[in-house]
Amino acid sequence: MDKKIGFFICTGCGIGEALDVAALCKVATKEGKAPSCKQHPFLCGQEGLEFIKKDIAEGVNTVVIAGCSSRMNYDVFDFGPEVIVERINFREQVVWCHPANDEDTQMTAEDYIRMAMAKLKTLELPEPFVPEDVSKDVLVVGGGLTGLTAALEVAEAGYRAVLVEKESNLGGYTAAFYKQAPSRPPYTDLEPNEVPAKVQAVTDNPNIKVYTSAVVEKIEGGPGKFDVTIKTAGGSAGERVGAVILATGAKPFDPTPLENFGYGKYPDVITQAQMEELAAKGKITRPSDGKPVQRVAFIQCVGSRDKEHLPYCSAACCVESLKQAAYLKELNPEAQAYVFYKDLRATGKYEHFYKRLQDLGTVFVKGETSAIKIEQSGGQLVVQGEDVILREKVNLPVDLVVLANGMVPTTAGEENILNLAYRQGPELPILKYGFPDSHFICFPYETRRTGVYAAGSVRAPMHVPAAVEDATGAALKAIQVVESVSRGAAVHPRSGDLSFPEFFMQRCTQCKRCTEECPFGAINEDEKGNPLPEPTRCRRCGTCMGACPERIISFKNYSVPMIGNMAKAIEVPEEDEEKPRILVFACENDAIPALDMAGLQRMQYSNWVRIIPVRCLGSLNLVWIADAMSKGIDGVLLLGCKHGDDYQCHFVKGSELAGIRLSKVSETLDRLGLESERVQIQEVSIMDYDQIPGIIDRFAARLDELGPNPMKGF
Amino acid sequence: MSAANEQASRFDPGFAREFYALENGEYAKLCMQCGLCAVTCASREFMDLPPRKLFKLVQAGDKEAVLQSQTPWLCTSCMTCTVRCPRGIPIIDVMHGLKYFLIQQGSKAPVALMSKIFAENMLRRGRVFELALTNSFFLKAYGPVGAIPIALKMRSVGQPMLLKGRLPLKPPKKIKGLDQVHKIVKKATEVMKREGHQDGV
Amino acid sequence: MAYSFYPGCSMEATGKAYLVSLEAVSHALGLELKEIPDWNCCGATVSANAIGDLPQLAMTARNLALAEPAGNDIVVGCSSCYLNMAWANEKFKTDARFRSQVSEALGAAGLKYEGGLRVRHLIDVLVNDIGLDNLKARTIKPLAGMKIACYSGCQTVRAIRRRDFDNVEYPVMLSRIVEALGATPVPFPAAARCCGGSQQFTRVELIHELTGYVLETAAKNGAEAIVTPCPMCHMNTDVYQAEINRVKGTNYYLPVFFLTQLIGLAFDLKPKDLGFSFNVVSPDKLFAKHNIKN
Repeated sequence: MDKKIGFFICTGCGIGEALDVAALCKVATKEGKAPSCKQHPFLCGQEGLEFIKKDIAEGVNTVVIAGCSSRMNYDVFDFGPEVIVERINFREQVVWCHPANDEDTQMTAEDYIRMAMAKLKTLELPEPFVPEDVSKDVLVVGGGLTGLTAALEVAEAGYRAVLVEKESNLGGYTAAFYKQAPSRPPYTDLEPNEVPAKVQAVTDNPNIKVYTSAVVEKIEGGPGKFDVTIKTAGGSAGERVGAVILATGAKPFDPTPLENFGYGKYPDVITQAQMEELAAKGKITRPSDGKPVQRVAFIQCVGSRDKEHLPYCSAACCVESLKQAAYLKELNPEAQAYVFYKDLRATGKYEHFYKRLQDLGTVFVKGETSAIKIEQSGGQLVVQGEDVILREKVNLPVDLVVLANGMVPTTAGEENILNLAYRQGPELPILKYGFPDSHFICFPYETRRTGVYAAGSVRAPMHVPAAVEDATGAALKAIQVVESVSRGAAVHPRSGDLSFPEFFMQRCTQCKRCTEECPFGAINEDEKGNPLPEPTRCRRCGTCMGACPERIISFKNYSVPMIGNMAKAIEVPEEDEEKPRILVFACENDAIPALDMAGLQRMQYSNWVRIIPVRCLGSLNLVWIADAMSKGIDGVLLLGCKHGDDYQCHFVKGSELAGIRLSKVSETLDRLGLESERVQIQEVSIMDYDQIPGIIDRFAARLDELGPNPMKGF
Repeated sequence: MSAANEQASRFDPGFAREFYALENGEYAKLCMQCGLCAVTCASREFMDLPPRKLFKLVQAGDKEAVLQSQTPWLCTSCMTCTVRCPRGIPIIDVMHGLKYFLIQQGSKAPVALMSKIFAENMLRRGRVFELALTNSFFLKAYGPVGAIPIALKMRSVGQPMLLKGRLPLKPPKKIKGLDQVHKIVKKATEVMKREGHQDGV
Repeated sequence: MAYSFYPGCSMEATGKAYLVSLEAVSHALGLELKEIPDWNCCGATVSANAIGDLPQLAMTARNLALAEPAGNDIVVGCSSCYLNMAWANEKFKTDARFRSQVSEALGAAGLKYEGGLRVRHLIDVLVNDIGLDNLKARTIKPLAGMKIACYSGCQTVRAIRRRDFDNVEYPVMLSRIVEALGATPVPFPAAARCCGGSQQFTRVELIHELTGYVLETAAKNGAEAIVTPCPMCHMNTDVYQAEINRVKGTNYYLPVFFLTQLIGLAFDLKPKDLGFSFNVVSPDKLFAKHNIKN
């Protein structure tokens, strides 16, 4: 595309008062070769927009707006798919964080103009990749409460769902529930189990295709074009779907190995599931002799929150025990329930239910439940434990003991469920305790496999309403991905991005770094190790671009030369001018918002810095650092997201990868006589905006100690 | 089995049921041991059991510990715990119910005596005669002879009260509708006994 | 503005200064307070222990029944009376079972209450009906420079549990009134702390500790005087101040005023009509400092 540039400076929000705008215009037109430079006091206003649109009508197709952050007014400054819009952040990252009418502040603004103009040299409008035969159907794996709900939500939104259930009947674990804990105001009364009705609704829904006694044998392709092979009792079936929801739930934890509870040894020690079966008969009687029960002990955290077994809280058992204690009382008003608990986790609206159970006279005994011992003497079961509130031992004779055995995700087992034909393996990556990875901070259903969403108790331990909510959320994410793919657009966090990575294959050395490092498994490889991109799986983070040593991967609007040109456009003053320069590569997801927030709060920091936003620190190519250093820039600061188990990076391991790459560059720097300290990496979240000035100023102070980059002037 | 039997009575709901049947006693069921009352109470330093612990002992059926506790007698009805309790337990009302029960059982606690004297005094004229209230309390609590040193000790308080005219020597006039007050109290007592406690939830 | 007025037993005895000054102030403000005819004691905080909660509240409801024909809001100055009356009224309106029980008890005396009244604390009426602007406009001798600890007391703001007129944790309305009078409220975290209530004879150490804390907090925050709307708070902080000084080895000098005494001063009413003669901690030195003639 032949770019016709329109360059606009907004002088509102204090920009005009803090900067010499006429001098800036000179930089834009003289150095940046912008055909013209116009200024306006209020570009985002109606009049300002008309001002820009007039130029577009006259043929301008590339609009450069120097004003507020690109995170602001992005919808206002949208002039359609044919117009490139480049934003220069004079507000949050120049005048709001540096002193007004100051030589260094002016130089900062000038550099940002040079950088933007350099960026435009190689930037092109993206051409979306839209695959043929996009399917908008959604595969739901698992026919329990979550799967049923997800399939119904998909169908009710007007899409087709394909439901695959391993068992011969739909319904899953909760199908056998005698009653359901309250889900409606006043949240105190038991409700009939809603699962049978859901099974019926799914069976009756013409938009849902159900496979029972069936498993997924293989899933190939990517979002919009997953080809699924389903193994059924009679043979196999094929389905093309656009998205996948994993809803295979959890299995009850087997308490047999916990010998102190006597499960398996005493017939009147049972699990929660067995209690449901007993209650379904309408009268709760002892398995051993069929006699009615009067005193029932419920033991919480059997296996759960126990380092040796399930280190996590299984989330549903407290409420389930409350429910069982409630129906125990309903079936026999004379019965007495005792709940032995560590912490009663009946959160949210369940607080009312807990209160109701207290009102029914349930006795709650707080203590370390894993230390409880259940013994039988003379036909009498006795619960031995400790009440930590009364600070005394408890020896309680009871007729029945119900163990609140926690849940183990189905993904924790050996068997494969999804059988994805991905280079990275057939299943979702596991984060912890056998649960598949999910982006728990922003979008819990989001996994590292684009278009595949985990929901319900397979994703995290949860109770009934949470599973229903999860199923609904995952269904919406599935619909979002099929719609996005059909337009060639990315899903969150780069929602709507139409770019995708392009490979200059002639120069590929089959090093496999891109295929290995892609967090989403978007690049398979052939036998020779050539990358085989699956564009619809791509999230556009650019990790592959950062990984490639040959620099053959680029996007139309994001590439190694483009960022390199920006770094090279920075004017580096001579050593004797004592104006060091710091280049900051900042992640767009968290570091850039944090920098903007610091500006919004008018926090001041060194104006030696020049900031370049990157899609992800994972896209950081080492050549940029080499370019910056050889140009005489005194230091490079990388600001990325937190990584590790509690990562907040939407691209999962961007800063981790950048860190690894950096460790390699350090040696090189040291060899060149350049202190490796000149390049630093910091993890910041959006909440850390108040740390920004400290991080930058400390780095600047350290560089001052090190003295100027010896490469300056070469 | 003996240990188990003792424990069985420990968690025997028998006393808990009796307690829940007291006026406002049922609210004690709802305590979830968060302890906000305990850190809130202005008299906590003087209490043997914070309200939280008292309610736990009720739930555990420990009759002796509950009935011997000084906690209800130290409650000043300031209501701080009552407005803060996340379970909405009107703790002062539960304390009233407990104190009523203890007084019925013949408690000798000073507050029991004071409460009875106050009620008698109030029901004599329909309004309270404060001087008589003070005098009868000291006479009943310490006897005619024992009251003298106490009165001397309290001189710094009593003297200015009298000198400044804050304790009128003349009783208030008997109200005209005293009979109405008696009838209301009598009927309400009947209703209270007939209907038992208030709703818990 | 006409109101039914419930003085209560304390206002007629230990809290006489409150009644006297309230009469003077209400006259100045044109507040028409009509005493509820033949009212009875509300039972304060202790009688329920002896006769039970329901009988006590039913007895209080008699006052509501007697006031209902006049149809006016009931104004209560004493916090303990207010607690009982407002709670009885609230419960009568919101709890059907209580309503029928109390109606039965009232019926035994040939009385009936329909639940048509509002029970208001004096502070509520002063702030919301009279208005702070009005109090300010009526102020002739602003209490400029006088630093006051505004001791609302505990029961004042907690009668209707969570939904009363002022903040139950840190009441502010009394301070607003004091500000309107030209004085300076000091920060006072003990504004709604208990003074120990009626435990003077039954557990006097409680008064020493609790009232001692209130006095300490007032002094620490630079207060020269305390103002309160509660006869019990007044009794403990004023009458027991010397005793607390003796027991705790402190030497607080904090005159304690009833709210209406302070308003009367600002309105330039005659000091003899404001009942300062009843104050145990003499305000004379404070008045001399601020050029107030007593």
